[in-house]
Amino acid sequence: MTKPSSTTTLAPAALAPISKLWATVGHVLPWAIAIGFFFVAEGSLSIGTQIMIWILFALSLDLILGYAGIVTLGHAAFFGVGAYAAGLFSIHFSPDPLIGHIFAIVVSGLLGLVTGALILHTTGVTFLMLTLATVSLIFEFGNQTRWLTGGDDGLQGMRVDPIFGMFEFNIFGQTAYVYALVVLFIWFLFSWRLMHSPFGRSLDGIRQNSRRMRAIGTPVWWRLLAIYGISAAMAGSAGALLAHSTRFVGLSSLSLLTSGIVTVMLILGGTRKLYGAFIGAAIYYLVQDSTAKINPHFWEFIVGGMLIITVLFLEGGLMDLGRIGRRLISRFRQRSDLP
Amino acid sequence: MSLGFALTILLDGISYGMVLFIISVGLTITMGLMRLVNLAHGSFAMIGGYIAGYLTQGGTNFYVALLVAAIIPGILGGLAEVTVFRPLYRKAELSQVLLTIGIVFVSTAAVTVIFGAFPYPVVFPEYLTKPVDIGFRTYPAYRLFLIAVGGVVAIVLWYLIENSLYGAKLRAAVDNPRMARAVGMNVNVLFTGTFMVGCALAGLGGAMGAGIMSLEPSYALKYVVLFLVVVIVGGEGSFKGSFVAAMSLGIIDTVGKYFFSQAAPYLLYVAVFILLLWRPQGLMPAKSVA
Amino acid sequence: MKKWFLGAAASVALSLSGGVASAEVFKVGLIADFTGAFATWGMQFQQAIEAYQSANGKTVKGPDGKEHEIQFVYRDNASQGPDKTKQLAEELVLREKVKMLAGFDLSPHAMAVADIANQAKMPVVIMNAATASITRGSPYYVRVSMTIPQHVVPLAQWAWGNGIKKVFMITSDYAPGHDAALYFSKTFKALGGEIVGAEKSPIQETNYSVYMEKVLQAKPDALYMFQPAGSPSVALVKAYSERGLKTAGIKLLGTGETQEIFLPQFNDDVIGTVTAFHYTETNTNPGNTALKAQLKKMFGEKAGPDIASVAAWDGTDLIHRSVAALGPNAEGLKYLDFLKNAKLDSPRGPAVIDPVERDIVQNIYIRRVEKRDGKLVNIDIATVPMVKDPWKIDNPPKSN
Repeated sequence: MTKPSSTTTLAPAALAPISKLWATVGHVLPWAIAIGFFFVAEGSLSIGTQIMIWILFALSLDLILGYAGIVTLGHAAFFGVGAYAAGLFSIHFSPDPLIGHIFAIVVSGLLGLVTGALILHTTGVTFLMLTLATVSLIFEFGNQTRWLTGGDDGLQGMRVDPIFGMFEFNIFGQTAYVYALVVLFIWFLFSWRLMHSPFGRSLDGIRQNSRRMRAIGTPVWWRLLAIYGISAAMAGSAGALLAHSTRFVGLSSLSLLTSGIVTVMLILGGTRKLYGAFIGAAIYYLVQDSTAKINPHFWEFIVGGMLIITVLFLEGGLMDLGRIGRRLISRFRQRSDLP
Repeated sequence: MSLGFALTILLDGISYGMVLFIISVGLTITMGLMRLVNLAHGSFAMIGGYIAGYLTQGGTNFYVALLVAAIIPGILGGLAEVTVFRPLYRKAELSQVLLTIGIVFVSTAAVTVIFGAFPYPVVFPEYLTKPVDIGFRTYPAYRLFLIAVGGVVAIVLWYLIENSLYGAKLRAAVDNPRMARAVGMNVNVLFTGTFMVGCALAGLGGAMGAGIMSLEPSYALKYVVLFLVVVIVGGEGSFKGSFVAAMSLGIIDTVGKYFFSQAAPYLLYVAVFILLLWRPQGLMPAKSVA
Repeated sequence: MKKWFLGAAASVALSLSGGVASAEVFKVGLIADFTGAFATWGMQFQQAIEAYQSANGKTVKGPDGKEHEIQFVYRDNASQGPDKTKQLAEELVLREKVKMLAGFDLSPHAMAVADIANQAKMPVVIMNAATASITRGSPYYVRVSMTIPQHVVPLAQWAWGNGIKKVFMITSDYAPGHDAALYFSKTFKALGGEIVGAEKSPIQETNYSVYMEKVLQAKPDALYMFQPAGSPSVALVKAYSERGLKTAGIKLLGTGETQEIFLPQFNDDVIGTVTAFHYTETNTNPGNTALKAQLKKMFGEKAGPDIASVAAWDGTDLIHRSVAALGPNAEGLKYLDFLKNAKLDSPRGPAVIDPVERDIVQNIYIRRVEKRDGKLVNIDIATVPMVKDPWKIDNPPKSN
């Protein structure tokens, strides 16, 4: 992951001005925290699991919103459909979580490809409205088909077998935590490779100037469709994690608000950095948890205020704070090197 | 189905459409003019509604309350345009979406803290809450009032845009903002003024329409999709388009509920989906506001 | 707001004192919505629990002769989904080491903790969550609130018995609304009545004009509504009068829409509405008088009881009695045996827990909204004694 050359050639946008040491620390730290938390959490593991699920969901959004510049408010559709697919699979076909997970990924990925093929030729506000219409339609579908989804009572009666027949999902939540961590890690490696491949660079180009990309022969529409499908599959995977770890799927997983929350998380952390999703989701979850206890409206003020401030003054999200900090440190270092 | 009944359904649809039109018309012009994706438009309608509710519950004359409910959101809108929105015009759509959602959150929280989480009623004058005889049946006076006011607003706006100097400038600026600037128009003042009018109308609509779209803290988020649908379907910046879209939406919603009530929850979104796939620029894409 | 802060302060104080818990403290984890769209539930639960403990003491004498303290640990579901409920329940069980769970305003929330209750062998006292089938979800569930069919079936019977032959239904499009529609039409048709129309309205509907036009066309004797309290039901009653249904003599039937705490939101159009419910706030049972007096004493004149208060009062009573009988350290199933055989001396009137279904059996009161001394109130006009949840009668437990 941290080949000597990788920091400069593979990730110039995110990690250019920092030393190898910092890069290694930056890469190891989030995973070290995640692993360490497992041993110290005692009764709070499920919060950790939830955070990792949201990280994965935000990461999937980063691929389309951050890298490809597709502004959507409908990403919850894939998250929710993934969750329902995993849940329904466990009820009607097999309680094996891994097969169910793959099923969920395939279903939501296909949904992404189909809806993407329908709407990706539009741009701007029209596209935004179409994503809104899509997620609202799917939400209503889930609400109306009570016989299938349980309507607003949610999907009841999920049975989930132990993973590999050994690790049981129980109230202590260790299995769910490790399961979420491993899945997140695999998807992260995948995204990292993808975004630093020629494919990923072409998405960068499409975001910056799609007309020019088309002029130099890039199949823009196909590229966008591909990443839309991949991102949908990833969001569906996060949904499957949610379904398996809570053994329950609710309609709220399909709601517009869920789309909104994941967008806020990503923007807060910073787009186009992959790790932005980590910081954003974790901070959002923890701040919400603590401020909502003081006063719920206080929380709405905070989210609203954070959004306004991020857009006006901190366009790179919280990850930018890190870069500003690093710049200060390196300046300080240079100065101390001088004499 | 009798003719009288068909007329009733039509009246219901038109009165609903009028409320949508009054609230959304400001949004359509500002989105066409400034290319700003403003999800916070519903907040101004909500503020107008709450002001009218507060005043009428305290015994203020209903029409005075309506006036205040238009003026204060207008002023707030002007302030917001100068301070928050102006830096946004040059930014990406995503930034606009996020910042305006942020405003929605803040206004929702403020309204909850000040007025509480329960629905907040506007007290309408006695004669508006009673049914009146309209020949073939009795019909709620309130709905007729909505149609009358909506009609007047539409005609006045149409006249302004078509025949006044302001209207001419507005059309010019929507058609080609760069050229408008180049020939020496003060586009900034035009923007601020237009924004204020749009927000004032939203406030008026929020106050008047409270009998159909009831006021609660989630108002701004709940209805913003509806307002956006009017704008996008009508075509950004298209005055006539937004009128047609609002009326169609009101009538489709009402007729849909009547005839296909099982499909009603889908109907709006399916209609929007198909329409936007068919005409991505809306019904009457604005090359001009008129 | 002020009240909310007091509540928050109280819950903080409670959870702090939990840190120094001795063996004699019996902890109960209460999960409900204290913030967000359903915030009144949590507040009403908590006030009733505090009222009960203030009136009857926080401690009970166990079989060992020692005084044991019953302590409630409150957790806010924040009007979020069942995944949040699950997380809160896990934390209460693992970290707070509670011995019972209680609360649950929404059905999905109650259903979500079945797994945890089974694994931790922990009794769950459900204080609202009215979907009929819930208590089958885990052998550890006991419900002290009500079910939707429990209200609807007596209402349909009353309507038929009082000259109503044709009914139009407008029910809200969510799970409880579907239950209500199903049971009303089933009961009413079985008696010989006719359902001349049935509409589902979106949960947040506030524009009922079209529905009322349909009712007018169908010319029923009565309109049956099942709508969420607050803006939807207020808007429905407004449209009902505005569109001339009231003057046309079409009666309005309902269930929970006209509870006393919601009545001030209506205008006089609501007078004459007939509802079936398990609790009438103005009744003069000694328990109800005590509950009302204690709430007003502790939380001011504006505090009043509703079904949340009654269920929390009764649930707290049951929990206290079970600790008194079994001490603070019995097995989950032992408590359950006690709870499911209990008789309740409830503010609502007589009630018992059905030992087979672990669900409440209680009187249902038919009430009419009237104006007394310038105030809208519900007046009992009939009582249907000891109604068992009709859903359970239709769906007998599988024998095994």
